[in-house]
Amino acid sequence: MSGYDLNRRDFLKMMGWSAAGVTLAGCDLPTTVTLEEGKETVVSYLSPEEYVIPGVGVWYASTCMQCSAYCGIHGRVREGRALKLEGNPDSPINRGKLCQMGQSGVQGHYNPDRLTQPLARQDGKLVPITWDDAWKMLADKTSNLSGDRFAWVTGTVSGHQAVLLAAHMESLGATQHFVPEVIAPSVAQAVLADMFGEAMPRLALDKAKLIVSFGADFLGTWVSPTHFATQYAQFRAAPRGILVQIEPKMTLTGGNADLWVAIRPGTEGALALGLANLLLQDGVQADLPEGLRNTIAGYDLNKVAGATGIPAERITRIAALLKQHAPSLVLAGAPVEGQAHGYEATAAVLLLNVILGNVGQTIVSNGEFPFPQLRAKTGKRRDLLAFADAAKNKNLDAVFFHGANPVYHAPAYLQLSEHLQNIPFKVAFAQFPDETTLACDLVLPVASYIEDWGTHVAAYQPEQGVISVQQPLMEKLYPGTPGLGDALLTLLKAREPQKYEAWPDYYSYLRNAVAALPAEYKGDAASDEEFWNHTLQKGLIKVDVPAKPLNVKLPEITLPEIPAPDAATLQLTPAAQLGLWDGRHANLPWIQEAPDQISKVVWDAWAELHPSTAAKLGVKTGDLLEVASEQGAIKVKVFVFKGVHPDAIAVSLGQGHEEYGRYAKGVGANPLKILNPVTDAKTGELALYGTRVKVSGLGEHDKLVLEGRGQSAQFGRKLVATVPAEQFRNTEGA
Amino acid sequence: MSSSLQNLLNNWSQYRKGIEEGGHHKYEHRWAMVVDLNLCIGCNACSTACYAENNLPVVGKERYDRGHMMHWMRIERYWDESPDKEFHEQGASFLPMMCQQCGAAPCEPVCPVVATYHTPDGLNAQVYNRCIGSRYCSNNCPYKVRYFNFWSYYDAAWPEPLNMQLNPDLAVRDKGVMEKCTFCVQRIRVAKDQAKMENRKVKDGEFTTACAQACPTNAIVFGDQLDAESKVAQLWNKHQVQRVVTKQDKQNPDLRGYRILEELNVDPSVMYLERVRENVA
Repeated sequence: MSGYDLNRRDFLKMMGWSAAGVTLAGCDLPTTVTLEEGKETVVSYLSPEEYVIPGVGVWYASTCMQCSAYCGIHGRVREGRALKLEGNPDSPINRGKLCQMGQSGVQGHYNPDRLTQPLARQDGKLVPITWDDAWKMLADKTSNLSGDRFAWVTGTVSGHQAVLLAAHMESLGATQHFVPEVIAPSVAQAVLADMFGEAMPRLALDKAKLIVSFGADFLGTWVSPTHFATQYAQFRAAPRGILVQIEPKMTLTGGNADLWVAIRPGTEGALALGLANLLLQDGVQADLPEGLRNTIAGYDLNKVAGATGIPAERITRIAALLKQHAPSLVLAGAPVEGQAHGYEATAAVLLLNVILGNVGQTIVSNGEFPFPQLRAKTGKRRDLLAFADAAKNKNLDAVFFHGANPVYHAPAYLQLSEHLQNIPFKVAFAQFPDETTLACDLVLPVASYIEDWGTHVAAYQPEQGVISVQQPLMEKLYPGTPGLGDALLTLLKAREPQKYEAWPDYYSYLRNAVAALPAEYKGDAASDEEFWNHTLQKGLIKVDVPAKPLNVKLPEITLPEIPAPDAATLQLTPAAQLGLWDGRHANLPWIQEAPDQISKVVWDAWAELHPSTAAKLGVKTGDLLEVASEQGAIKVKVFVFKGVHPDAIAVSLGQGHEEYGRYAKGVGANPLKILNPVTDAKTGELALYGTRVKVSGLGEHDKLVLEGRGQSAQFGRKLVATVPAEQFRNTEGA
Repeated sequence: MSSSLQNLLNNWSQYRKGIEEGGHHKYEHRWAMVVDLNLCIGCNACSTACYAENNLPVVGKERYDRGHMMHWMRIERYWDESPDKEFHEQGASFLPMMCQQCGAAPCEPVCPVVATYHTPDGLNAQVYNRCIGSRYCSNNCPYKVRYFNFWSYYDAAWPEPLNMQLNPDLAVRDKGVMEKCTFCVQRIRVAKDQAKMENRKVKDGEFTTACAQACPTNAIVFGDQLDAESKVAQLWNKHQVQRVVTKQDKQNPDLRGYRILEELNVDPSVMYLERVRENVA
């Protein structure tokens, strides 16, 4: 045990001989070791607890919480410690696979900067208090709370946590629940709901012969990346579909495209209508309302080529590809929806699917999930604005945070940090000391997802509907830390004791909930006990969602005239990547040290510039830039490459934390801070791509650390060789 | 030229050429890999899975810059367009690069203390306890996939309780020791032991490496090339890629299989399948 300051009791715990074993076995086995006040019973290793064999790892099924795709995981547990996470092959979401964020989940769980005990603000400072005092303080301060002056601010929640959260709000008579997520596809969901009657219809990438993606980074940061990556593998198998990616900044998906097209940011809608016009002129039959037809007719090729900066012959070529390859799939991602006219632009792009007859082929209904109360309450950028407004207007007396970091995400113009002072009682249920947590008055450390119970229903459901089940993979590192479910149950018991007294903890609540499922879910399980064990073994509950046809309803689309580019400024493109995500994974060392897939930068934020733009500014890779909007300026290092439009500057998202532990704090800059107050006119969503910035070199060189020292030439060696798809089809089957 | 040097060079040549005459080893298994660059999306899942499985330390920005990074599995990224193009129109070329477990590995004969040697499974093994840190092996590796511990990383990489994540199935390497991809030898060990206990052969697919397990597109296939039924052996055959040779003589030269730098006569155990692009521009 050299190097560790372990006492006997901790050692037993770590070896899995304490109550952890019971939790792991997932049912009420008798404990072989009791650790009570001042009394220990020592049991020989010769009679080990079930499933605990020293030296042998056992895999338990659970659910990944690193983003809201809710992939199924298997966690390897040895001697009571969770060691490694892998994908759950039974999960139709990720089919046994797990991305780098999911792999890094253990580093959040074992993070050295986790909060371990409750903190309360005294004389302006957060000081440690006991759990008893913390719960008492919570009860005292919320006993006379008026529901309409209270709000929850959370990440995406679903499953039974959502049920309890709704119950808690109801018990208070509260209605305000903000879910601020900056990279959520919230505008696309609004368009899809209006256009097809479903916010998240199922996308069959594997059935498409051609995917034209307008900035939808489905392999990296869009909706359910690991699921789409598994579909992508089928899409790319012989006869091999074609991928065209059109975006201002090359994403991971763009890096895998057959044709990557740089588009002037903000002109995606015009290109989509231009393509629609070409298709209709070319005789594609589509049932469109007259008004829309007239709008489309206004987008002639030369006008569109001029606006987008894409040569006319290339636009014609893309239209020809769309006509030739059916079924296709046209997607709209963050750069399209993040504009002042994001709704219309997204609708224009998705309209192509209707014209091309993809609806019912590659875009199909997900049906009606039979348990609406379990469905995900998904994130929205407008919730960030709405919450900031509520704080500014002094509409709140108390706010509870969980799984959200609005102080980090809020643009400077919202002045959220200052307005938070207007809320007298701010409580963080938090795992880490992030910007929001440290602005609170009471901090309650919570369990990691590796220590917690839960059920999760992803907003995007694959072919087979699922409720992903989460179970603890090990005992809590910090005793007393509740999960979200337990915290909610405690809060509810304080308000409605008789209603919730039947359940001593969230585990028992969840067991009851699973037992209460209709009989058809339980298959041939002989008892509730057997079904519960089966559920934990599988890590999911399959839900059959009857299919129904999509009802297409086409909206009117009015796109503004696009002004000529302003040579003095560039379009700010905050670029999320698979890894740092929206900044929530900046405290994981594996993620910091994993090179960005495209630029290969490690441990930093960076700004991508096209060589022509860099030449105009007189900067080279590694030079320091000042990027200034009307709202402020950030300093960031340049990365020069040909994967960004000359009218854009792409600044990586996720760094620039002012707090959030040793790995995140003080690394790089945060482009969200300098966003202008631009919102999508129709949905009110904050427009991430709506800010023009002045960019100037600071005349200083700083170093960007790049994997392979930035070398990107093969010097004639056959390292990666490329062959034409025709050859691939000939040799490996059509 | 002195006789001893002559002797060394003669033996060297015999060693380097011996592989073409049947080699010096009788293999029990021949662990090999296939990496399909048509499927690889460059997402880093493999690399991070390797960190988790193999106790790889995170070295931090400054040390990374000095070349002290320890990623056994890295994704190289190349741009292949001609320089006169305005944009990278065909995307990136991603290349997962890890130890190629050469059949005639240049790292092996140069080790002064036999810390790196050839196993009966065809792996280039590294004996940490023997390694004295001469770094000759790394100098000699054409793939640059050997990583040297310039520091002890216990406290720097795993401040408590991050150390609790460490995989107890393998060691944490200390300062002065060379390390590299092992094809997850600890997983191979478990599978072989299990098979032996059950008095059977190791079955294809009953285990795999951490990288292949994580890969969302199944671009990485791992297995025993001596097992004719294995997916790996079948893919090598299908793509008409031979071991030992320095230049493939394929009946159908359009097949995508190739080995990186095989002309150096190192006999790599990893076959790559060429990246595919549709010419739509």
